[in-house]
Amino acid sequence: MTVENGHQGAEVAARTERRWATISVIIIVVLAVLAAFAGIHQVTMPQPRVETIDPTRLHLSGEFVESNLGSVLEPTGSVTVRAIGQQYSFTPACILVPAQTPITLRATSADVVHGILVQGTNVNTMLVPGYVSEQLMRFEKPGDHLMPCQEFCSFGHEGMWGKVKVIDKEEFVAKAKSGGRLSCVGE
Amino acid sequence: MSARELFTFRNPYFSAGVGLAAGLFVLTALGGFIVLPYAQKELKFAGLWDAICSAAGVPQRSASVPTAKVGPRLSEAVLTPTMLARPGQESIGRGATLAQRCAICHGPTGISRADSPNLAGQYASVIYKELLDFRSGARSNAVMSPFAVDLKDQDMADLAAYYAYLPRLPAYHPTPQLPRPRIVIYGAPVRGIAPCGSCHGSLDNKTGSPWLEGQSEAYLKAQLQAFASGRRTNDISQQMRNIARAMTPQEIDEAAAYYASQPTEIVKSTD
Amino acid sequence: MLVNRKLVLAHFWLAFAVFGLALFLGAWQMFVRSPLYTWISDPEWYYRSLTAHGTVMGYVFPTLVAMGFGYAISESALKQPLVGVRWAWAGFWLIVVGAVMAMVPVALGRASVLYTFYPPLIGSVFYYIGVVLVVVGSWIWVALMSVNLRVWRREHPGEPVPLAMFANVAGSYLWAWTAVGAALELLLQIIPVALGWRTTIDAGLARVFFSWTLHAIVYFWLMPTYIAYYTIVPRAIGGRLYSDTMGRIAFILFLVVAMPIGIHHTFADPQVGAGFKFIHSAFTALVALPTLLTVFTICASVEIAARLRGGRGPFGWIGALPWDNPIMLAVAFSFVLLGFGGAGGLINMSYQLDTTIHNTQWITGHFHLIFGGAIVIMYFAIAYDLWPHLTGRALPDLRLVRAQLWLWFVGMIVTTFPWHWVGILGMPRRMAYYDYSDPAISPQAFSVTLSVIGAFVLLISGLLFLYILATAHRQPAADAGAYRFSVPVHPVHTVPLALNSFAIWVALMIGLTVTNYAYPILTLAARSDTSVPAVYVGAQ
Repeated sequence: MTVENGHQGAEVAARTERRWATISVIIIVVLAVLAAFAGIHQVTMPQPRVETIDPTRLHLSGEFVESNLGSVLEPTGSVTVRAIGQQYSFTPACILVPAQTPITLRATSADVVHGILVQGTNVNTMLVPGYVSEQLMRFEKPGDHLMPCQEFCSFGHEGMWGKVKVIDKEEFVAKAKSGGRLSCVGE
Repeated sequence: MSARELFTFRNPYFSAGVGLAAGLFVLTALGGFIVLPYAQKELKFAGLWDAICSAAGVPQRSASVPTAKVGPRLSEAVLTPTMLARPGQESIGRGATLAQRCAICHGPTGISRADSPNLAGQYASVIYKELLDFRSGARSNAVMSPFAVDLKDQDMADLAAYYAYLPRLPAYHPTPQLPRPRIVIYGAPVRGIAPCGSCHGSLDNKTGSPWLEGQSEAYLKAQLQAFASGRRTNDISQQMRNIARAMTPQEIDEAAAYYASQPTEIVKSTD
Repeated sequence: MLVNRKLVLAHFWLAFAVFGLALFLGAWQMFVRSPLYTWISDPEWYYRSLTAHGTVMGYVFPTLVAMGFGYAISESALKQPLVGVRWAWAGFWLIVVGAVMAMVPVALGRASVLYTFYPPLIGSVFYYIGVVLVVVGSWIWVALMSVNLRVWRREHPGEPVPLAMFANVAGSYLWAWTAVGAALELLLQIIPVALGWRTTIDAGLARVFFSWTLHAIVYFWLMPTYIAYYTIVPRAIGGRLYSDTMGRIAFILFLVVAMPIGIHHTFADPQVGAGFKFIHSAFTALVALPTLLTVFTICASVEIAARLRGGRGPFGWIGALPWDNPIMLAVAFSFVLLGFGGAGGLINMSYQLDTTIHNTQWITGHFHLIFGGAIVIMYFAIAYDLWPHLTGRALPDLRLVRAQLWLWFVGMIVTTFPWHWVGILGMPRRMAYYDYSDPAISPQAFSVTLSVIGAFVLLISGLLFLYILATAHRQPAADAGAYRFSVPVHPVHTVPLALNSFAIWVALMIGLTVTNYAYPILTLAARSDTSVPAVYVGAQ
């Protein structure tokens, strides 16, 4: 973009502009394709379906009743975690998952808009009352993560922090043998 | 300027604008509705139409997962913030009649002389929900449960309306007003404890959560310990167990002593 | 030709006065939630302040700047007195009434719902009605801009609309349409519930409506800044505008593609289909185009100024720029901040990268950098440039002006860079306090402390700005001459009708809104089983 003023006419200016516009478009297309490619092959994609649910009756029936919240080992070897957010806690307050395992998080809100954010990972989803959120996740290493609510949910929002505990795959499988839903609440 | 001159494909700006916009939309729609759903191997679709509908976001009712109910009986109350709002005089009157039975423990003015909860001026939804839970067995108490067994839904609503209507009188067990302990003011964020007042009335009221000022210290402490140990489980989806479990025994003592020593003025009422 | 100076001054003064108040709240918020302060004993006060800060900075302040600047442009670019002055005052007073009506319940703690509303949380109905009045007041401005252009066209058939006015009207049309999303949310969903006529609300649908407004509103905030880039900067630094046509195309692109991209704000939401998230993500990429074009045109225009002043070499000309000119300083700062902010924006645009930082402090850092940084610093420049023409008095001291701009630039970087960083570390936004003593959170303490220092630098800069504007009124009278806009290198005699009018572009804007938003909105609106009970905050 070193155009000497005064020596070149409007045509030169227009040509330079067209070149720059072409470069701009190429930059944008490359970025967009990069994002789509990375999403499919490496990282994560938005949840595939929109599912609705009645937030006032979560505790009465369906997959979010209290006894069904927590982590369960599926026959396929993957893990499903079911959780709810409510003013001002997550249930289970401590989510227990195995390392190096595909995990499906299914969660919803019992009252207002909340969010789940697992620190140190890219697990991050909104919980909107009336809808079920689903996100695929995978933890490589055992360890502890904080899981704050990331959307303002009224005056106790600053106190809404859960935890995620990632343990060895074998240890998790052993715990899962006894059946039921796993969590690290009270540990 | 004439619209005919502008809105024609002979106008290069119009054709370029419309062409690019439409082309981009079609391209991205193909990508978003067909290519991407099929590119994700872990997804299963019934067919092309199902893939398109899913990507478009056609809402589906969450599939019913058969779940075996295990463990203790839990609360079946369905609470909404506006339930029981603005009860009629008639309801309050019926509640007053029914409440004569309650006066032995909860006091003729709704202020208990023993360690039973004070009910005068309590949020209606709280009284209603606890009665429902006593009746269903989600909460049990040797004295209270038999009273609740025979109550109909309307009786409970009337009682709730009556007690909510009573003025908040000073409690019978005043101790010198204690300073607010840390756990009550701030909670403990990383342990997942919000300030008590964000649900229990001094900041805001979460439907179904009682205000606590002036309640018996022994009662408050017993309830917190029951929630913490899992002996009491009628808090919907563990909303109070999550908190009480994370509190230390000392924090439970401090919170109970603090609330018992407080006057009722600082409570916010709900509509 | 600036006839209605009082009108323009009223808008600017109200804008900057509320800006000063909100700036103070912002600095206070940064402070109380930092490790420098013990935790706030009533978190509601934090959310109350946050609601006021967001509402003022997001709705009231930029709207007033756009309106005041718009009236000034209409008069001086078209060289005709404003048509509909009474209506303009009516719009102004509607905004005053609306702002007061909204702020009283907020100040009383009856509407601490944050400026994003996010039902099912519901606050006092007066808060929402106040916001609606502010928007309605600004719609009067939109109509007046359209009317004034029409009046001018009748007198000057076939002539090219001056670029400043063209961009101004494009901005007003963009605002008129983008405000519709939040207006629908308020009028159809929230206000009936706040009045108690209804007790349930579809929280998911509300978020989709709000995203319609929430993204394009940024481009509405941006419009005065871009108008200043194109029509003030080259003139103020003694150069020429590289291309008038490119300017028109950039503003047209903003008008068309700023709107149908808002769903990228709901990437992490469960109520929007993945397909629409992809479409909006791709269209969001497109909105980088007008900015890239602008960066080129403005750099070239600035280079022209430098070469006219004797600058040489591929980069040597940069030294020849008039760096003691506040406008030069402002545009350079604005570009640097826009560059960083834009890079962050590219990250937010991608679903995959966004998942790491969605709703963390990164986002707050991002929009403060773009809005508070790149955009507001040009608002300062606009005010400095217009002030002598509005007051008939010269600015008191250019050294103070430069110091103010430097402070703002440095303050914004010191505030927002650590903010981005703690976002990457996973610090959630909008919390009244954080437990920095926890080992998992303690690494964030240093960065948060840094950003508090930045916030106080910004506060000082903001107060200095108000001081300069106020003292300018007491300077000796000096004729600043007619208010002019920059002249292109190659004078424009004729412009294709399509680049001189809005019909095609407004139609495209609405068309793309329909293709990109109609289905996600209608499919939720058609269902009754997605509505959930409203939760009234601070119920008393």
